[in-house]
Amino acid sequence: MRVTRGMMRRRLVALLFILTGALALLVGRLLFLQIVQAPWLSKMATSLHTRTIKLIGTRGSILSAGGKVLAYTASAPSILAVPSQIKDKQQAAALLAPILNMPAEKVQAALSKVAMAVYINPGGRRMTEEQAQEVRNLHLQGIYITEEGKRAYPYGSLAASVLGIVGQDGGLTGVEREYNSVLAGQDGYIGYLSYAGGQPIPGEGETIKPAVAGDDVQLSISVRIQQIVEREIEKVVAQYSPDHVTAIVENPKTGAIVAMANYPSFNPADWRSAPQENYNRNLAIWQTFEPGSTFKIVTLSAALQENKVNLADKFYDPGYYEVAGHRIKCWKAGGHGSQSFLNVVENSCNPGFISLGERLGKNALFHYIKAFGFGKKTGIDLPGEGTGILFPLSKVGPLELATTSFGQGVSVTPIQQVMAVGAVANGGKLMKPYVVQDIVDPKTHTVVMNRQPTVVRQVISPQTASLVRQALESVVAKGSGKNAYKEGYRIAGKTGTAQVAVNGRYSGSHYIVSFIGMAPANNPKLVAYVAIDYPRPKNGAPVFGGVIAAPVVGQILADSLTEMNVPPDPNGLPKKYNYFEQAPVTVPDLVGMSLVDARRMAILSSANLKTMLSGSGKTVIAQSPAAGMKVPPGSTVRIYLGNKEQASVVH
Amino acid sequence: MTRAQKNFDYGILLMTFVLLCFGVVMVHSASSVLSLRRYADSFYFLKRQILWASVGVILMMILSNYDYHKWRKWAPRLAVVAFVLLVVVLLPGVGRNVNGSKAWLGIGSFGVQPSEFAKLAMILFLAHLLADSKDRMGSFWKGFVPPLFLSLVCVGLVMLEPDLGQSVVIMGTTVILLFAAGARVSHIGSLGGAGLLAFGGLVAAAPYRMDRITSFLNPWKDPLGTGYQIIQSLYAVGSGGLLGLGLGQSRQKYLYLPEPQTDFIYSIISEELGLLGAASVLLLFAVLIWRGLRAAIYAEDEFGALLAVGITGMIGVQVLINVGVVTGSIPATGVTLPFISYGGSSMTLMLAAVGILLNISKQGAPTVR
Repeated sequence: MRVTRGMMRRRLVALLFILTGALALLVGRLLFLQIVQAPWLSKMATSLHTRTIKLIGTRGSILSAGGKVLAYTASAPSILAVPSQIKDKQQAAALLAPILNMPAEKVQAALSKVAMAVYINPGGRRMTEEQAQEVRNLHLQGIYITEEGKRAYPYGSLAASVLGIVGQDGGLTGVEREYNSVLAGQDGYIGYLSYAGGQPIPGEGETIKPAVAGDDVQLSISVRIQQIVEREIEKVVAQYSPDHVTAIVENPKTGAIVAMANYPSFNPADWRSAPQENYNRNLAIWQTFEPGSTFKIVTLSAALQENKVNLADKFYDPGYYEVAGHRIKCWKAGGHGSQSFLNVVENSCNPGFISLGERLGKNALFHYIKAFGFGKKTGIDLPGEGTGILFPLSKVGPLELATTSFGQGVSVTPIQQVMAVGAVANGGKLMKPYVVQDIVDPKTHTVVMNRQPTVVRQVISPQTASLVRQALESVVAKGSGKNAYKEGYRIAGKTGTAQVAVNGRYSGSHYIVSFIGMAPANNPKLVAYVAIDYPRPKNGAPVFGGVIAAPVVGQILADSLTEMNVPPDPNGLPKKYNYFEQAPVTVPDLVGMSLVDARRMAILSSANLKTMLSGSGKTVIAQSPAAGMKVPPGSTVRIYLGNKEQASVVH
Repeated sequence: MTRAQKNFDYGILLMTFVLLCFGVVMVHSASSVLSLRRYADSFYFLKRQILWASVGVILMMILSNYDYHKWRKWAPRLAVVAFVLLVVVLLPGVGRNVNGSKAWLGIGSFGVQPSEFAKLAMILFLAHLLADSKDRMGSFWKGFVPPLFLSLVCVGLVMLEPDLGQSVVIMGTTVILLFAAGARVSHIGSLGGAGLLAFGGLVAAAPYRMDRITSFLNPWKDPLGTGYQIIQSLYAVGSGGLLGLGLGQSRQKYLYLPEPQTDFIYSIISEELGLLGAASVLLLFAVLIWRGLRAAIYAEDEFGALLAVGITGMIGVQVLINVGVVTGSIPATGVTLPFISYGGSSMTLMLAAVGILLNISKQGAPTVR
C-alpha cells in the first residue's frame, strides 16, 4: 500500500476530530463537576478549609430559695495548645511538664496530636492562677491560656445530693443533670479559613458565634433549714454511727422540698475522691425499704375516710392478732389491753391496725395506698428516683393485707412517704414534689420559668385530714412520738421502726428507724422526715423510732419554724408526762404587779419559779418568757422593772 | 512580502502567547502561598517561570527561522544523544532523585529532564524515518514495527526512571505519528490488543496494580493515601462552579493541593476561573491543535507534515492526560500542561517545538487545496 497525500490528509482530519472530540468530552466532565457536583464538592471543600475553636458557654448558677448562691462557675485558666505552631515539641513538653505536674512524655504526646487545638489533660486544664502565670512566662509559641469554667460551691457540701455533680461533659447527677440543658447554655465557636496545616489564612477574618451563658436555677431549698437538717444529721451520726441517714423537709402546701440531705454525703467540688455510691444515688428519692409504722398513717386515713372507725371506739389488744391461723404479735409483749382507737394510734398498736385493714378490705386499702402515691414515682425533678414495690392486688391474701396495714411487706421511698403525709398536712391534697422553683436569666434577672404547684389528686377529704392530724398530734403529745414534742410548736407525727431483711430473714439488730412529722398540727407549714439506717446505740438501748428519730424531727421542725418566724402556739395538746417526768408549768402574768407581788406569785403558782431582776423601779413592766408559756418547774423568769406609766405603755 | 511571511501561522503564535502569558499569571496565583512558605518569597516560582518562558520564546523565535529540513540531518544524531542521556540518568549517582523518580540530570543548580528532550528527539527521528517509509507502511514488519520498536525502547528507558506520564505521552505521540504516516488501522488495533494483553499479564502478576489504576474511580476509598491528590483536585474544580472564586481566590492552594503550580495547575485554574475559564483554556488548545494539524496538511513535504503532526499530537496528548487526571477522568499520571505548568525543561522544549511548527507553517502552501 502506498501512502498518498490525500490519505494523510483524511487521517489528519480524522485526528483533528478525535483530539477535539476528546477535548469536548473533558468539557463535558468539567460541566458535570462544576455544575452538577459543584454544590457538594464546594461544601466538602469549605468544611475542609474551615476550622473552628469551640467556645463554652458559662454554666448557670444554682441558687437557694433565698437567692444565696449554692453553686456557680468560676473560670479557671487552661492551656490550649495549637500543635502545628509548636516547632520543638520535646522542648515545649519538657518546660511545661514540671509546671503541670505531668510526665514530659504525656505532655509531648498531647502536643503531637494531629488536631488544630488540644487541651493537655489533666494537668493543663483548670489550673491555678500561679501555674498559668508560670506557663505565660515561658512565652512558648502555640501555647495559649484560655479560661475554662470550674464549678465552685460557696456552702461546701451543703445540699450536695440535691445539687449533684458536674463532669467534663455537663451535669452527672442531681439538679446539675436534671436541668443540664438549662444550666449549660449554648456553646459557640470561632471559625476561620485555614491552611492545610491549620494555621489561619491571614486577612480572611473570622466568623464568631459567641457562647450563650446558661440560665440560673433557683431551688426551693432554704439554706437555713438545710443547715439545721444537716446539723441534726451530724448529731445523729455522732451518737448512733448509722450506715445511712436520710432527711427531707417539705412545704406541704406546694410540694416544694425545703431541705433534703443524706449521710454519707460528699463534697461536690471534689466528688471524684468520694466513694461512687455517695454521689451517684440520692437516698432520699432512691432508697426503698419497708416503712414500718409510719405507713399506719395511710391505713388510718383510709379507715377514717371510709367511716370504718371512730377514734373513740374501743379496741382490745391481747398482744397479738390472729389472721388466717397465724398469730401476728404486737410490738409490745402482752399487748396494750383495752384502749380506744385513738390510743391504738398513739401506741402504734399493730393488732389495732390489722383490725382497721380488715375493716377496709384489700381493695379499699390498696386503693388508698396507690392514691397516696405509693408504688409509683412521685415525679420529683431529680434524676434517679425509685419506685418501690407493692403486693400485686391479686396476690394479696389476709396475711398480706394484715402486714401491709401496719407497714410491712411494702417497699417505699422516703420521698413517697413525705408526699403522702404531706397530703394529710395539706387538707388531703397530694402534691407533686419539686426542688427547682424558678429558672432565671442571669443577665436580665427575669424569671424564665416559674414553678406552679401541681396537685396530683385529692386523696382524702379536708375533714378526714384534720382528724388524722389531731390523732398524730396526740401521738406526739401522749403516745409513741413524745420525744418529738416541742412546747408551742404543735408537732404531729408518727414513728416508724422497720426491721431490715437480710438474706430473706429479718435481722435481729439491723433496723431502719424513722419519724415523720408536721407542724403546726392545725395548719402545717412543714413536713419533716428522718430515716436512720442501722443505728447503733452506745449503751445497747433498744432501737425504736420514737427514741432515736422522733427527737431529730422535733428539733428540725421547731428550729425551722423559728427560722420561718412562725410564732409558738399555746393552744396545742399538752404533753402527757410520766411519773418520772416533770410536767411543765404555765408562766403566770406578772406584768403590772409590784416586785413583791410578782415574786410571791412566781412561787405561789405551784411552779416554784425563780425570778431574776433587770432595771430599777417598783413595778414589773415586762417578763420573759411571756405569760402562758410552758416551762419546766424551777425555771427562771426574768423580770424587767420600771414605773407604772411605763408598765401601761409596754402592756 | 515573501511567501514565507505570508504563510507564517500567526494563529499558532497567538495561541502560544496567550497560553504562555495566562500560564505565567496562573503559576504565580497557584504558587504564591507555597513559595512564600517554602522560600519566603511569594515570587519565587513566578520569577523562574518568566525566565524559562523568555528563554523558550527566544528559542522558539530562533527555531521558527531555522529551516526545518535541516533537522533531517540532525535527527539520527539527536536520537542517539537522547538514548545516551536516558541511559546516563539511570546510572547510580548521576540521576537526581525527585519524588522517587530519577528523571533529572543536574547541571549546577539547574536540572534538566532527558525525557523531555527525548520526546522531541523521538518526534524528529520518527518523522524522518516515516517520511521515507511511504511504500513500506502497508507492511507490518517492514513499515510498522521498526519505528514502533525504537519508540518502545525509549518508553522502556523512561519507565525505568520511572516516569509513567512521559512514557504515555511518547507512546501516544508515536501512535498518532504512525496513524498519520498511513499505518494500517488493523496494525494499530493489534498494538492496542497487545497493550491490553501486557497489562492483563501485569495485573495477573500483581493484582494491587488494578486497585492503583482504578482508584481514580473512587478516590474516597483511600482519602489520605492514593486518593488524596485527586480528592483535593476535585474539591478545587468543584468549588469553581460556573464562574470560579475569582483570580487569586483559590483556597486549595493553601497547601491542600500539593505542588499546585505544576501538574495540578489546571485544578487551580478551574477553581479560580470556573467552568468558563477552564473550558476557554481547552478551547485555546483546540484552536492550537487545529492550526498545528492544518500546518501539517499544508506542509511542503512528508517530513514537515509528520513533524507537525508529531509536535501537535504531543501537545494534544499532554493536554488530554493532564486535564483528564485533574478532573479525575483517567488514572493519575504526572504530565505537565503545555505552556502553563511551571517547569523549565517542559517549557523550553514545548516552545522549541512550537518554533519548529512555525517554520513548517511558514514554508507550507495554504493555496494548495
